[in-house]
Amino acid sequence: MKPRTLPWLALGLVVWAALPFIVPRYMADLLVFTGIYTVAGLGIGLLLGHCGIVNLAQATFYGLGAYASAYCTVMMGLPSIVGFIVGAVISMVLAYVIGRPILRLTGYFLALGTLALSAIASALFFEWDWLTGGTLGIGGIPKLDVFGFLLDRPSRYYFFVWIVAFACMAVAHNLVDSRTGLMLRSMRDSSTAAAALSIDLQALRTKVFVVCALFGSLAGSLFAHHVSFVSTQSFTVDRSISFLLIPVIGGATSIPGIVVGALFVTFLPELLSKLGDIHQILFGLALVAVVVLMPEGLVGAFGKLRTRFAKREGGGHG
Amino acid sequence: MTLSLVLQAIFAGVTNGIVYALVGMGLSAIFKGSRVINAMQGEFAVIGAMTTVLLLTRTGWPYPAAIAGGAVAGALVGAFIEVAFVRYMARKNASEDSFLLLTIGLALTLSASVLFFIGRDGHLLPPLGGEGVLIILDAVIQFHALWLIAIGIGATLALRAFYHRTTIGLSMMAASIDADGAATTGINVGRMRTFTFVLGGLLGALGGILVTPLIGVDYQLGLNLTLKGFAAAVLGGLTNPLGAAVGGLTLGLVESLAIIGISSSYKDVVAFSVLIIIMILMPQGILGRAGRRGG
Repeated sequence: MKPRTLPWLALGLVVWAALPFIVPRYMADLLVFTGIYTVAGLGIGLLLGHCGIVNLAQATFYGLGAYASAYCTVMMGLPSIVGFIVGAVISMVLAYVIGRPILRLTGYFLALGTLALSAIASALFFEWDWLTGGTLGIGGIPKLDVFGFLLDRPSRYYFFVWIVAFACMAVAHNLVDSRTGLMLRSMRDSSTAAAALSIDLQALRTKVFVVCALFGSLAGSLFAHHVSFVSTQSFTVDRSISFLLIPVIGGATSIPGIVVGALFVTFLPELLSKLGDIHQILFGLALVAVVVLMPEGLVGAFGKLRTRFAKREGGGHG
Repeated sequence: MTLSLVLQAIFAGVTNGIVYALVGMGLSAIFKGSRVINAMQGEFAVIGAMTTVLLLTRTGWPYPAAIAGGAVAGALVGAFIEVAFVRYMARKNASEDSFLLLTIGLALTLSASVLFFIGRDGHLLPPLGGEGVLIILDAVIQFHALWLIAIGIGATLALRAFYHRTTIGLSMMAASIDADGAATTGINVGRMRTFTFVLGGLLGALGGILVTPLIGVDYQLGLNLTLKGFAAAVLGGLTNPLGAAVGGLTLGLVESLAIIGISSSYKDVVAFSVLIIIMILMPQGILGRAGRRGG
């Protein structure tokens, strides 16, 4: 880390810590969602940015995490941590079992295979109402209680969610920075060359898919404890699509990009909703604009802009 | 399990299958001509059906004219999307994924536009051939479903003739097989890609108009039809629109026969499981390599 970045980091930390106290309550609530979506989006970003895999099944694992937390705490009266663990284990096992065969597909086929998976899961969440409560859902999920602190307000839950998000970012960063990350990049850029270097592509892709599912499940459990009520409407194919937008909009290869993407999908609809019902159309158009004009996401576009300015400042002809 | 129950399931399967086939043929025609997977193919169905509903109820056009208007609306939107977005992105060598994301974004926009301008309510169209039904061995099939099947088969045969007999159809095939080669023989490859989207929009809109008297149309119909149409196209080998017709029928029959005796909401579970299994085990589709050739 360069010494220059240290003051910026400290400033960022102060802003981060002060934010839930200075913004209005509904914004603190949105910031909690940003944290939750960052966790879910990180996994998709790893798959998209480092493996070239479009994952449209994240709502499945998000739903598994949420229902595991809801069922364990409300129906069985177990401590919250059990819900987190049960959700994570089920999601990872499922991701492994489904990932092994489905990740043999490539390109469009894989993208639509995961979309089909999300549609199946969404139908099953609806149908297995003995487990999920169907459209009526499961309510009364308790707020989290960490070492005696009851996280019953958005401004308190904010810190917990974001610490989890930072931990997940660290895990993602280490994964990308390690040997695994090198193997991932070689696989993305030339899978034939990677295979020739005896990298087991299948196992590698499955590994990242399992990590992605783990993040999805964690995000789902965090979501369940935040809103206290889960029902099938939260885990549809639409949700999978909006999760995919997070890395697409922010930039899949950069971790700050995921946060930017998560801010975009949580705040933009809220800001646009002041304009009335037209906001969903504008959101769709904004997405189209990002895809068409900034293929590397907002962070990528910003980076490009910065290099252009840097060149100009250096006296070059840019 | 009685015979009439099976027969009833077959009727439903063929009817749904034709709709999936029409959506799938459009998707497959677009993929063949532009290598773009169109995730808004189901929205063409919504556009076609909603335009027909509006022309019929608000402007009082006669029904056949309203149907034609709906189909033309689908075709025009297809052309617009190619000219406004796909052409620009193709020039910048956009990746497969960006095209997929583009069409997902367009699907969100269109479905939100229907919700905003027309509303949340579902709309029905009057059935073709009146309200009557045909009863065979206690199994019921609506006259409309018979019309739907006839029109679907007619559209499939017309598409085949179009690809094999007309100059434009042959040029579109040539442009999809070898763009450079086609360009040297004087085919306007870019325009052929636009026609591909026109064709896709037309077929999708037709599917939507035909299914509306049976299940109604609302702003959420598109996504489900896209998925079913994609499943149909993949079963047929993806690059072959006529294969998609076979795929659609197969999918319709499999899902309606599989749910005899269990809750009908497992229909989608069956259909999408079949999709995943076929993609993994038979990447060429159920027709095999032969299905990839030809129009």
